[in-house]
Amino acid sequence: MKQKKTIGVVPENSNVYDEMSAWDNLIFAAQLYRVPKAEREKKAKELLELFGLYERRKDRAGVFSKGMKRRLTIATALVHIPTLLFLDEPTSGLDVQSSRMIRNLIKDLNKTGVTIFLTTHYIEEADQLCQRIAMINKGKIAALDSPEKLKASIQKHQIIEVSFDQTRNLEQKLSTLRNTEKVVQFDDKFRLHVRNTSETIPLLTDFARENGLNIVSINTLSPSLEDVFVEVTGLSAEIMATEKEQKKKAANLG
Amino acid sequence: MAKSITDPLIKAFYIAMKDARVYYFKAPNFTFGLLIPISLYLAFSMAGNINPVLIVAGLSSLAMLFGTTSIEAVAVVLEKQTGTFDRLLVAPVSLFTIILGKTIAGFFFGLILAAITVFPLAAFSGVAVMNPVLAVIAIAFASMAFSALGIITSVYANWVPDAQMYANFLRFPMTFLSGTFVALETYPFQMQVLARFLPLTYSVEALRNCISTSAVTSIYIIDIAVLSVFTLVFLAIATVTLRKRLS
Repeated sequence: MKQKKTIGVVPENSNVYDEMSAWDNLIFAAQLYRVPKAEREKKAKELLELFGLYERRKDRAGVFSKGMKRRLTIATALVHIPTLLFLDEPTSGLDVQSSRMIRNLIKDLNKTGVTIFLTTHYIEEADQLCQRIAMINKGKIAALDSPEKLKASIQKHQIIEVSFDQTRNLEQKLSTLRNTEKVVQFDDKFRLHVRNTSETIPLLTDFARENGLNIVSINTLSPSLEDVFVEVTGLSAEIMATEKEQKKKAANLG
Repeated sequence: MAKSITDPLIKAFYIAMKDARVYYFKAPNFTFGLLIPISLYLAFSMAGNINPVLIVAGLSSLAMLFGTTSIEAVAVVLEKQTGTFDRLLVAPVSLFTIILGKTIAGFFFGLILAAITVFPLAAFSGVAVMNPVLAVIAIAFASMAFSALGIITSVYANWVPDAQMYANFLRFPMTFLSGTFVALETYPFQMQVLARFLPLTYSVEALRNCISTSAVTSIYIIDIAVLSVFTLVFLAIATVTLRKRLS
């Protein structure tokens, strides 16, 4: 029981009482932790203001949007001032605005001294928010370190991301460029894993000219956490890219 | 020491108050709590004249049985379905306290149903409740036992209609076996013995007792004692089965 008092848990699916108002949801959560009356009202007001819900405090949670319910769920997990907060997929299925708001709130919470244990399928989210990351594959920890150390651990080659005004049949042709070890297509972009970027960039401009193409954008990239994940799990980068796209589309629809 | 007793009770009370606000006004509670008992009474009354005392005690007990078990079916199963039960589980509240809280919510709902059936029905049928205080006590003990029974029937259900169906396996046989609208003494001996294993029998008997006489009879005391035992046993079974189910 003592340990339970120090932790807050936010499950993947928001679990507030739809029939109760935002205010009553927070007060009930505080009652379960025996937060004294004056303190619980002060904390409820503070949290509703912080999560941008104070104006809607009297409304039933049932009429809230998915993002608002998510914020209310996180607020209810914080009402007893936990020192450790478990967040399971905090931005899953949310629109961009709500996701950004929740990520900023998580950062701010962490600054106040709350330890946050975050579970997410969004690798960029882990990169933005976490100081230490464990990558899990088939139920086992495949890698555990800080984001930058994880990225550095696989930096055997450099990456150039290039986009042309057309994409048809280019993957094969690009892979024949000198110094190029691997080419992966992401939508209208190609990622070239090369030994030396400064040698490859001029080759790419020649390639574009020879094939009658215009370069829309060109960037050099350091390995992302997604690359680390692909490396440590042996998962196909193409599958990762497809999954990522599907999640983005689902989030935009949500 | 005192805190270890009061703390779970206060938390159980908060859970009960929350359940009252969230679940009391769900439609199945009134359908099961009022419409079905009234329909059953009408079905029995077709057979001939029923003693008004039997009507008041029987109908009120049925309203409590159907109402409390129905609210538990909603309160327990819906919470498991929507994930709000997890909120209770991660809080510093024991499983027994959660069950107690939910039982108290059902208990108050039973009191409300009894209040809107016993006394108006008694007035309507021209029956004087000889000892209203004892009647309230009997109602309280019966409501608590039925409410705890409702938790058990909800533990294994994943959907509210499933929980109502499981509860019906107990509610309807009890209605016919517990001497609800017919004096138990008129039943064959084997059925009288069987009736003694059903909480509804004791609720009906205790209520009849305080409607007919103002004295505290030994039958009334035994009825209240047995209803208390039923409550404790049901609460223990509910805690054990729910713990198993969750693990």
